[in-house]
Amino acid sequence: MEIIKIKKTAWPGGIDKARETYHLFGPVKDKSCHIFRPLENNIYPDMEYTSSTLSPKSVLFPQTQKILETSVDESEKNHHILTPVKQDNTPKAVIGIRPCDAKAMQLVKLNFDTKDYRDPYWCDAYESSTFIGLAANTPSIFDFSTSAGSGPFEEDGLDVLLVDCKDHYLAKVITEKGKSFLNTTGFNESTDQNKADQIIKDLKTCAEGIINSSIRTENLKEKTVLDLYNAPFWEDLAFSCISCGTCAYVCPTCWCFDIQDETRGSLVTRIRNWDTCMPPLFTQHASGHNPRGEKTQRVRQRFMHKLKYFEDKYDQGIMCIGCGRCVEKCPVNIDIRDICNLMNAYEPEKESAVSKLREK
Amino acid sequence: MAEKQIKIVAFLCNWCSYGAADLAGVSRMQYSTDIRVIRVPCSGRIDAKLILSAFREGADGVWVSGCHPGECHYLEGNYYARRKFILMGNLMEHMGIDKDRLHFSWISSAEATKFAKVAQEVADTIVPMGPSDRFVKRAV
Amino acid sequence: MNMITRNIQKHAASLLKAETVDVFIGFKAGSFPMSAAPVIIKNPEQAQALIWDSNCRLNLANYLTNRTDKIGIVAKGCDSRSIVNHIIENKITRDQLHIIGVPCSGMVDKTKIASEFTDEITELREQEDSLVIKAGSETRILAKGEFLRSNCLSCTHRNPVLYDQLAADLVTEPVIENQFADVDKIESLSRDEKWLYFDDLIQNCIRCYACRNSCPLCFCPTCFVDESNPQWVGKGIDSTDVRTFHFLRAYHCAGRCTDCGACVEACPMDINVRDFTRKLNKDVLDMYGWEAGLDIKKRPPLDTFNPNDPDEYIK
Repeated sequence: MEIIKIKKTAWPGGIDKARETYHLFGPVKDKSCHIFRPLENNIYPDMEYTSSTLSPKSVLFPQTQKILETSVDESEKNHHILTPVKQDNTPKAVIGIRPCDAKAMQLVKLNFDTKDYRDPYWCDAYESSTFIGLAANTPSIFDFSTSAGSGPFEEDGLDVLLVDCKDHYLAKVITEKGKSFLNTTGFNESTDQNKADQIIKDLKTCAEGIINSSIRTENLKEKTVLDLYNAPFWEDLAFSCISCGTCAYVCPTCWCFDIQDETRGSLVTRIRNWDTCMPPLFTQHASGHNPRGEKTQRVRQRFMHKLKYFEDKYDQGIMCIGCGRCVEKCPVNIDIRDICNLMNAYEPEKESAVSKLREK
Repeated sequence: MAEKQIKIVAFLCNWCSYGAADLAGVSRMQYSTDIRVIRVPCSGRIDAKLILSAFREGADGVWVSGCHPGECHYLEGNYYARRKFILMGNLMEHMGIDKDRLHFSWISSAEATKFAKVAQEVADTIVPMGPSDRFVKRAV
Repeated sequence: MNMITRNIQKHAASLLKAETVDVFIGFKAGSFPMSAAPVIIKNPEQAQALIWDSNCRLNLANYLTNRTDKIGIVAKGCDSRSIVNHIIENKITRDQLHIIGVPCSGMVDKTKIASEFTDEITELREQEDSLVIKAGSETRILAKGEFLRSNCLSCTHRNPVLYDQLAADLVTEPVIENQFADVDKIESLSRDEKWLYFDDLIQNCIRCYACRNSCPLCFCPTCFVDESNPQWVGKGIDSTDVRTFHFLRAYHCAGRCTDCGACVEACPMDINVRDFTRKLNKDVLDMYGWEAGLDIKKRPPLDTFNPNDPDEYIK
């Protein structure tokens, strides 16, 4: 895999060149948060950021997205026929995305691109996007990606991996798409491949060493669903949850959405918004019945989905890449790491081991 | 292109203000045609939700009218309303919406003349302000 | 371990042992610096997990709504006022509660502290009135008083107003010259500037409802944003919808909000949610002399009236 060198002094110029071909997205500082936003002219991605408050999933999966529209005005052509809203699928480049967030896209793809159904909105956006990753030399204190199927220097899902070497970046070209992006920027300074490779390896080892947070998942697959489902620890664990949507909205692997029709005058627009399984409304039936009306049921469902059902269904590990956003942002400090370890260690016959973990 | 017609939503309490409007009507009193009436059982029923909803839907002004204090059909509804309204008005101003788009009055069912007068006053205040462009829910 | 923590642990253990309460609600240590997690304990042995520090920013009264058991709970000044509110609004009865009151010296603003350092904070220890903070390779001591939350800086009810036992001695209530300086600042803006101010404030809102759900006042079985027949508010991030949600929620809290700041603490996007409610808090104080949750026998201002209420603004 080719590695090229990009001097930081040359960086803005190359990004400006890329703007001519790609619609750029990257982390931008907004008050105390970093958010992935479209980069308009003269705005550059903040490559010094630690982690973004919201994940880059919004690039492929906007929080509010128009998908269909029509008019109820009978004098209009095609009135009452819902027609697709043209989405902007001009080539996109997401610059500065972390490796774990790119891996998350791969997990989400398992849901949106199946043999039975292909979500056109997400998939078209994904296929038109190029991901220029930024390795995390100093992972955040919330990062536990190395034990969650990813890592600060992983390449799964990326087209290019940038490694910050103080006055320059080393750019590992992973895919053809990545190569095309670099061609538009004009970045092509060659560098000693072996040396560069070693530098990256050393930085990777160092970064992975900084991560001191981890989860245990090796037993999750062999546990039976019902054993975990009926475990006694869910009730007290779920107590503090306030059923908001923070964890689902900041999570890069959460994909649920709600479809709403909004009518203004004679214009009807069908939009899809992010949705979250944490409030009771998520499973509210029109009949009045609610299969997950109790908070314990909902909290249990979230973690069973992330750590058990997904693993069982796709056999690609857990539905979590260890970014730690939910840990950092949960208003009541419900920690997926604790829950994962609890589930991993749970043995119905050996209750006392669980009580010890719970006491922590 | 036709100018957008100003629409002022008037929430009138069934027992007093709506009666006044009715009386004004049969008495052939003239007042602004920009008023659109919504009948509610009592001014105390008015929640900020309804007022904000009117503005969201494109109302250029909102007028709430009820019985005089002490004469509420439900005895106390308008007393509670009085407190709610002032807070609502202040909050709207605080939000950056012109307080003059929101009006309140006490009109009893016999006061048809007052109704016509106030209706015209409200319209005369709001029409020159032009269509409301703040707090309007537009198509996504 | 600080004295308040020790007392809370002691009281909680004895309450559970004597079965005066069925459960005890308090805080346990968070899983990362500057955090604390609400917890429910049911056995005296679990009382050792309880803590109290300057990170107990959430309002535990939020967990009382409609409970039917006997509950022990920790409450600082603003929380205890929310408990009074809850009792007045019939969401819990006084008899069910055994309140461990904590006279509060203020909670710290984690965002303000974090902005003092370039690296992430890896440790925060409290020592009397100092915060000993490790970030990267740096260790620095900050004065706690300089990093209090803005609602704590304008607080005049640090002592709990309702309690069965105290975890520490009562503190002197400060006299604040202008409690509502933040509201005055917005009021001094022009109408257009006000509109833009709030536009900017709501820009990053993701409609997660963490603010609403962490608020003890928000307990409607169906919140107006979730009503569908009719639907009052859109569910996306359209700015008119976001504004409607925040302003209407603030309005529904008028005369009930104790300025506990749980909404600000819960918000993942660091939005100063209190900017919506502060104006109403000021108005009810100015017009009706009312501060929420101080008297268990008095009705909130929108739940009562005075035949002589001002109404010059009504035609």
